[in-house]
Amino acid sequence: MYLTLEHLTKKFPARGKQVGEVAAVDDISLNIEKGQFVTLLGPSGCGKTTTLRLIAGFEFPTSGHIILDGQRLEDVPPNRRDMAMVFQSYAIFPHLNVFENIAYGLKVKKIAAAEIKRRVDDVTKLTQLTGLEDRAPNQLSGGQQQRVALARALVVEPKVLLFDEPLSNLDAKLREEMRFEIRDLQKRLGITAIYVTHAQEEALVMSDLIAIIHQGKLAQLGTPEEIYEQPRSRFVADFIGLSDFLPARVESYDATTARVTVAGATLTVPTKLGLSRDQSILLHIRPYDIEFVGESAQDNVLPGVIKQATYLGNIVDYRVEIGQGLALRVQASTDQRRAAGERVRLHFPASKCHLIAEE
Amino acid sequence: MRRISREPSVVITLAILVGLMFAFIIYPQVQVVLVPGLGGYVSFLAEQTWVKPFFNSLQVMLLSTTTAVVLGFIYAYAMVYSKMPFKPFFRIIGVLPLLSPPFVVAASYILLFGPRGMISYYVFGQSPNILGLGGLWGVQTIAFFPFAYQLIADVLARSDARMEQAARNLGAGPWNVFRTITLPMARPGLLAAILTTAIYIVEDFGNPALIAGQFTVLPTQAYGLISGFGDVTGAAVVSTILLLLALALYVAKTRIEGQRSYVTISGRAGTIPRPPVPTVVNVFCFVACSLLAILILMVYGVLLVSAVVEVFPVKWGLTSKHFEFLTSNITPLQNTLVYGTIAAIICAMFAMLLGFLVQRREWRGKRIVDFIAIMPAAIPGIFFGIGYATAFNQRWLDWIDRGALITISMIFWNIPVGYQAAIAGLQQIDRSLDDAATSLGAGSLRAFRDILLPMLDGALLTGFVTAFVRAVTTLSVVIFLFTPSTTVATIKIFQLVNDFMWGGATAFTVSVVGVAVLVLVIVWTISGRRVGLQRTG
Repeated sequence: MYLTLEHLTKKFPARGKQVGEVAAVDDISLNIEKGQFVTLLGPSGCGKTTTLRLIAGFEFPTSGHIILDGQRLEDVPPNRRDMAMVFQSYAIFPHLNVFENIAYGLKVKKIAAAEIKRRVDDVTKLTQLTGLEDRAPNQLSGGQQQRVALARALVVEPKVLLFDEPLSNLDAKLREEMRFEIRDLQKRLGITAIYVTHAQEEALVMSDLIAIIHQGKLAQLGTPEEIYEQPRSRFVADFIGLSDFLPARVESYDATTARVTVAGATLTVPTKLGLSRDQSILLHIRPYDIEFVGESAQDNVLPGVIKQATYLGNIVDYRVEIGQGLALRVQASTDQRRAAGERVRLHFPASKCHLIAEE
Repeated sequence: MRRISREPSVVITLAILVGLMFAFIIYPQVQVVLVPGLGGYVSFLAEQTWVKPFFNSLQVMLLSTTTAVVLGFIYAYAMVYSKMPFKPFFRIIGVLPLLSPPFVVAASYILLFGPRGMISYYVFGQSPNILGLGGLWGVQTIAFFPFAYQLIADVLARSDARMEQAARNLGAGPWNVFRTITLPMARPGLLAAILTTAIYIVEDFGNPALIAGQFTVLPTQAYGLISGFGDVTGAAVVSTILLLLALALYVAKTRIEGQRSYVTISGRAGTIPRPPVPTVVNVFCFVACSLLAILILMVYGVLLVSAVVEVFPVKWGLTSKHFEFLTSNITPLQNTLVYGTIAAIICAMFAMLLGFLVQRREWRGKRIVDFIAIMPAAIPGIFFGIGYATAFNQRWLDWIDRGALITISMIFWNIPVGYQAAIAGLQQIDRSLDDAATSLGAGSLRAFRDILLPMLDGALLTGFVTAFVRAVTTLSVVIFLFTPSTTVATIKIFQLVNDFMWGGATAFTVSVVGVAVLVLVIVWTISGRRVGLQRTG
């Protein structure tokens, strides 16, 4: 493993009236291979940024280890860790021009002027900043500042590139462009990257691996597909994409599928979970995976009544009551509009259903 | 927050800074407190000679603080809220007193209202005895209301105009808004401003020394005991009593400031205009400020005139003889300039580095060091001066140059000024900037030098200018330290006034104020920005 986090824990003294300590990062272990793009994803205050700062060395862990390329890092000061960070605020040095900003890390490392010039030239080309070298930071657009921050980190050829929500200050359009640009550069240069964000789309688009952090703990680690399609907990499912959760009871099961009762009906669902009969469980499905079907369909179908229909432009968002006080969100195309009060039949495609053991 | 234990260079730097602070802030103060010994305290306190000055100090503090704060509040309200004309002019008038030794008011008062004063004698034919409580009260009111104005204006300016707009929008009239929104939000800040003014006044040495006569207050008693009787023990006890009084006020002030303050500090409050006030209020503000401005202009005008006429206010012929006297006795002014400049530069740099280590790094004992750095703001100048005299006026320290000692006293007495400017400046710089430098390979001190210091030039200049102005205008701190060759201008003025050599005294005063203004203008010109003065306390 290239970068390993072992039982990483960071406790801070509690603030305000509380006493004792609060664990911002709670026993996180993670293995990252060279060249991987790993995203730490979670809501604000979940501990993802603290984890990143621990890796960078801006904070020191209460316990646990950080190992990079075989070297234990806990006692290495942040400036000797061979990492470079791209900050949310970009942290462009306002009194230095673009060239001086990018060259700063090389100057600190006492690299010869000619070599600095060459490497800065290379990286400005790579980040499409050529021609802007003499500009002052306040003469740059948000996207250009972002590129300077990226170039400044790339030019020192760090072992690990760290990103702390780097795109959150850009407008939506630019943000989308920069996602691909960053991912593309990272792949081309083969740099190991750790990326912190609270934007799920960013995580899905860019990452090799996503680590979902919740209350300081690692909630789930997996590829974007795994995280999206096989969320292991209600929290993960809820955090990524839209979700419907239905309380269910296990009726029977075998190695690959289970039959569960939901609102009086029985559904067949694929699963690999270890189950037991009569166990309460959550059935999870995405609102846009539920289909409206006619009277003829029988398998995996629940009847319901539309309570509310909201036009969203590309789709219609329905609130459907399926009895026993249960309501669902269903999203369907605008081709066939349904009105509130209409009786409908909902099909839950087995391949789109997914069981989550209740915490 | 980063720990420093992994960076030896930072640990060493910090050790040096803290060591110097212990040697030049803590050690001399402890000396003063310890010098009398238990017996000294008991016998001196039993003599009860301190009782009257103690109550005099309290009495004049209450009187002067009340009047100074009332006038300061009116001036501040007018500057922040009213739409009166000539605000830039009034602003300059309000700053002028900060650039001069506080005791110039006393000097000016004597020239105007003294036994042979221009107004008292030559207009009204009276020869009043102005020495005593009444004179002191009046003088301190005029001398310190500009300080109160600055402090209160700071508080009022920070109050959130959005709240006031909202209250007006909900139907409250201007007076109601002021009473129910502005004042309650500003209350902690106002109380703190009042207490800070009280500290200035109770510590004031120059004015009572010139004008209080038999009405002895604690600072003048401490000075009198040493200069008149060589009674260091008594002076130490008296100044310790004064210190306790000032510290009590200071602690009360920090308590109040620590309370929840509703004043917005985001700095965004100023972006929308304050709701307008009625015309009658504007008129009142303008009249009140004009009267106060005339008073201040008279104080300085009299000094200026006295410096260029034969004998004020008897012989009005223009003359340059007082300035010729000054040029033939130029050493004190030179000393003031040299000591003040060196002290201000070192003080600003020292405080900046210390501010960085306190504000940006985590280490044990940080809060104590933070307290020590602020402490001199609460220490009466006379106490600080006696501290240096007792601690460093010793045989084995004779090799220390007297000028150097005066400079050192100016450096450390002004640490709070530079330190607070540094902290305020650092708070405005995003931490990710130093993190960025660090993550690119720069150590703490390197990041400080490359990134923070260039960005802190404003705070650095504020610290420098304020420390300089305070260094060249202080009397009490240096009054026990000078030798004939290391006399500074304020001491020379004090001596000349005591010898009734008004022409020379006012020429020196005008020069000191001129130097302070000149330095401020030079700094403005070089830096291209309007660096303000750091409020102390």
